[in-house]
Amino acid sequence: MQRRGTGQAGWLSVATALMLSACGGGDSGMAPLPPVSPAPPAPVPVAVTKDEAFRFLNQSTFGATEAEAARLIALGDVTNSYSRWIDAELAKPVSTLLPYVEAAYPNPVPTGFNIASLNAPRVEKWFDNTLKGNDQLRQRVAWALSQIFVVSQVGALQNLPSATADFYDLLARDALGDYRKLLEDVTLHPAMGVYLSMLGNQQAVTGTNLRPDENYAREVMQLMSIGLVQLNTDGSAQLDAGGQPIPTYDQNTIEGFARVFTGWKWACPSTNPTCTFTNTRPQLAPVAGYNQILPMQLYTAQHETGTKKVLSYAGALPSGALIPANQTGTRDLQDALDNIANHPNVGPFISKQLIQKLVTSNPSPAYVQRVAATFNNDGSGKRGNLAAVVRSILLDAEAHPATTGVAPAAAGKVKEPLLRLTQFWRAYNAQSASGKSGVARNFAGGVTAVFGEGPGLSPSVFNFYSPGYAPPGEIANQGMVAPELQLATEYLNTQATNYFWTQAIARTITQAPTLNVDDMFINTTEEIALAADSEALVNRVADRLLGSPARMGAELKAQTKAQVDRSTNVNTRVADAIYFVATSPEYMLQR
Amino acid sequence: MNNQRRRFLKAAAAGGALYAFGRTPDTVYAQATGVGGFGDYKALVCLFMFGGNDSWNMVVPTTPAEYNAYNTSRGGDAGVGSGLAIPLASLLPINSGFGLHPSMTGMQSLFTAQRAAVIANVGPLIRPTTKAQYQTAGWELPPQLFSHNDQQDQWHSLRGKALLKSGWGGRVADVLAAQIGSQQLPLNVSLAGQTYFQAGVNARPYVMGSNGATTFAGFGSSGVNFARRQAFESVINAAQASTSNTVYERSFATVQQRAVQFADLVNGALAQARSFTALPDSGVTLSPLQTQLRTVAKMISSRTSLSMSRQVFFVSAGGFDTHDDLVADQPGLLGGVSTAVKSFYDALTEMGMENSTTLFTHSDFGRTLTSNGDGSDHAWGGVQFVVGGAVRGGTIYGDYPLLQIGSTQDVGAGRFIPSVSVDQYAATLASWFGVADPDLGLVAPSIGNFAQRNLGFMA
Repeated sequence: MQRRGTGQAGWLSVATALMLSACGGGDSGMAPLPPVSPAPPAPVPVAVTKDEAFRFLNQSTFGATEAEAARLIALGDVTNSYSRWIDAELAKPVSTLLPYVEAAYPNPVPTGFNIASLNAPRVEKWFDNTLKGNDQLRQRVAWALSQIFVVSQVGALQNLPSATADFYDLLARDALGDYRKLLEDVTLHPAMGVYLSMLGNQQAVTGTNLRPDENYAREVMQLMSIGLVQLNTDGSAQLDAGGQPIPTYDQNTIEGFARVFTGWKWACPSTNPTCTFTNTRPQLAPVAGYNQILPMQLYTAQHETGTKKVLSYAGALPSGALIPANQTGTRDLQDALDNIANHPNVGPFISKQLIQKLVTSNPSPAYVQRVAATFNNDGSGKRGNLAAVVRSILLDAEAHPATTGVAPAAAGKVKEPLLRLTQFWRAYNAQSASGKSGVARNFAGGVTAVFGEGPGLSPSVFNFYSPGYAPPGEIANQGMVAPELQLATEYLNTQATNYFWTQAIARTITQAPTLNVDDMFINTTEEIALAADSEALVNRVADRLLGSPARMGAELKAQTKAQVDRSTNVNTRVADAIYFVATSPEYMLQR
Repeated sequence: MNNQRRRFLKAAAAGGALYAFGRTPDTVYAQATGVGGFGDYKALVCLFMFGGNDSWNMVVPTTPAEYNAYNTSRGGDAGVGSGLAIPLASLLPINSGFGLHPSMTGMQSLFTAQRAAVIANVGPLIRPTTKAQYQTAGWELPPQLFSHNDQQDQWHSLRGKALLKSGWGGRVADVLAAQIGSQQLPLNVSLAGQTYFQAGVNARPYVMGSNGATTFAGFGSSGVNFARRQAFESVINAAQASTSNTVYERSFATVQQRAVQFADLVNGALAQARSFTALPDSGVTLSPLQTQLRTVAKMISSRTSLSMSRQVFFVSAGGFDTHDDLVADQPGLLGGVSTAVKSFYDALTEMGMENSTTLFTHSDFGRTLTSNGDGSDHAWGGVQFVVGGAVRGGTIYGDYPLLQIGSTQDVGAGRFIPSVSVDQYAATLASWFGVADPDLGLVAPSIGNFAQRNLGFMA
């Protein structure tokens, strides 16, 4: 079958979908569609299949569930269901973390209170939002952005739990908004200020070796906007005459931006409105108007007044890629962020990373090009419209490999380890007696010790894994990447595999009365009812977790069924069925 | 092995064309391997200090002229204004003309006992580089200097401008493959996650937790629980072998296979392993680095039962990206490394393995001499330690530069061009480890660009 033409963005026409489905029948999980009728005058509405609904919802939520798949299917047909679902998501209110964290503060905060302990409620609420939150698309994109715009409680933020929570809320609020606004909100947020040391950065002192801090200047360009090398719109690197990539900036540019980002520090505390750069401090308790969640404030005397070198590219502003001397610090910041946000790299750089986080590790250049074109212009002349970008990513033909026949070797990706858990918990309506989700006691050693990642828990600004990671073997040899496999070590795989075993054998509705009130248990009522029939039991689990029994490979199906039949104990039979499917390579794959 | 072929390999490596003439990586390494097994045991332990260690405060010159240059460049004494310099009087003397950070008493004792050496101003280079050459357009330099992940990858992979997805530890395993065929575990074992350092072209590392492997909770040795293991293995074996699966599924299944294969082996060995007074199993709170090193020591003590003759371990410590709070944080960071390394060395001596084990440090980069207010920023060359009984210790190798802004090796703000390349550093360690001289180019691709192939710090 031919790949779909690359110039055509957006979702398939019905006719194309029918044609492609008809000749793409090799895919085991696809329900066969009726053959193409000869030139029908009006297209016949074709419903989204459950299999395809699962594929889409694993790209756009914290895990497909049968209920959400049914809801998606009922929205219309293949030409409009996905788009209508996205439309509805865009309109939903934002689920947040901060109020829950604030509610966990003792009042008053006693002397010697372990403030860092309030990071735990942030993680709890994150699980609550991802499992039960209504704004799934927004939260999924926020999670992707949190791995591009990284802050972490590990390090200097550990005693600023409100700032860390509010930063994540910022990402959720801006996730489907405007990139330029996102960039500014991130830049001025005190969590980022602390994490990458822009907060408190000050001008050089003449006659000394003291000079502005380069940390944020470097990472905002390298990680959050343009990357290290000049890109074509399709995400490929531009090469010089010697075949080498061309750097996007040099050390002088970093020093220029370092000078821009001077003079910003904690906003004056509500208790000390006439504070100074030297004496301003974070307010640790959540009193009204506390500065832990306010944008940083400019202290003019500490701002560098000279000219600043910024990025040079065709059409770059300010002219000459030089910010003039003696502007206000705020004007400098606006000019500098405009200069970054309008760099031609931003579209392909951000688009490709979002594609990799949501859909596939190895998008074709044409896919990146289509999404980057949407970033550059959403159709109404607006640049950086993230809602349009996300829509373009999810509706692209290449996000639908089963329908469009994109090479199976490259399509899809490895599910992030934590998304394997959230999908599982969503599929099984996991809950605890206390009503809390994902309380720390559910993870021996913490969530990162079991799944290798967790919200606000990155070991550094470089996230839990690298977008360029390729494991040794055929993936590296073929020049492909599989970023999430950096977390698939023998150790972490075993940790996660064991987690699913414990969950399936000892943390179900059957054991619920004996569990701790905060232990998450899964609802296996339907499986228990089918336990006597191994075929029906295994199929039920596969329906829940894979979207269809047909998604199981022959060996997975046969071995799981055989293992179920080795025991007469209902609990063990159900546990084996769930364990084998949840730890299978089939479930690990996000197709 | 015949000499003519060896010369070819060397020439190919020196030119950076590792896989010339259409040969696949597999065949290069198949031909590079030596013959016969090793009669002895050796271990290399890579300690990576993530974030970029500010090593100009770790080993400090103490002669008046050099110290004054250092102190001025760092903006004066730590604690006074934005100064970052360690006061002269508090430095721990180690050698004529140098002192250690005051938190590093353990390292001081190792150095004094000639069990530790310092490698001065080492960093990624493709060829020897002067400041004039650095400033010349087109001069070959490792790409993206001063960037964390790129320079970590340079340390791990020695890739220069090539796009290698393998690391030098991994390529050591490739080169020695035929000599370690009876080992029950891969040559490379990580206690700190997966990096390019240990990825070979052919060889794969084994990654365990800081306390060892985790066993599979649902598996047993008999009945239904044993059958579960067999069924699980059948599923992943089929997934791994299936050509209709995606590469993602196959690659994931490969890890699952190895996890099952090695977990019992490793934990069986660790259960038999001895304990160490210097790194006790209980009663004392160990740092995360000490916990990793305790497991390394236990693995070394289990070498015979696992038929191991050569092992490369990877351990790490984090928090070294000291843009902020440098002065406040360094005692914990450097003191933590010093204490952990000393206790590891002591554990090695308890079992008489100190001469067979060499620990060496890596870090993203050195840092700027100049201050950004209360810390330092990303730079290039820096100082590393090598520790063990086979180290010609008590000496500083390489060329410790004059720490003066604008000096002949400073490319700005106190960023120093390395005087020794990581290729030379790695080749010296690999050579001690048993990699034949003509094969060093496979491990350290740019070694042919440097006159000195061995820095001489290993006996």
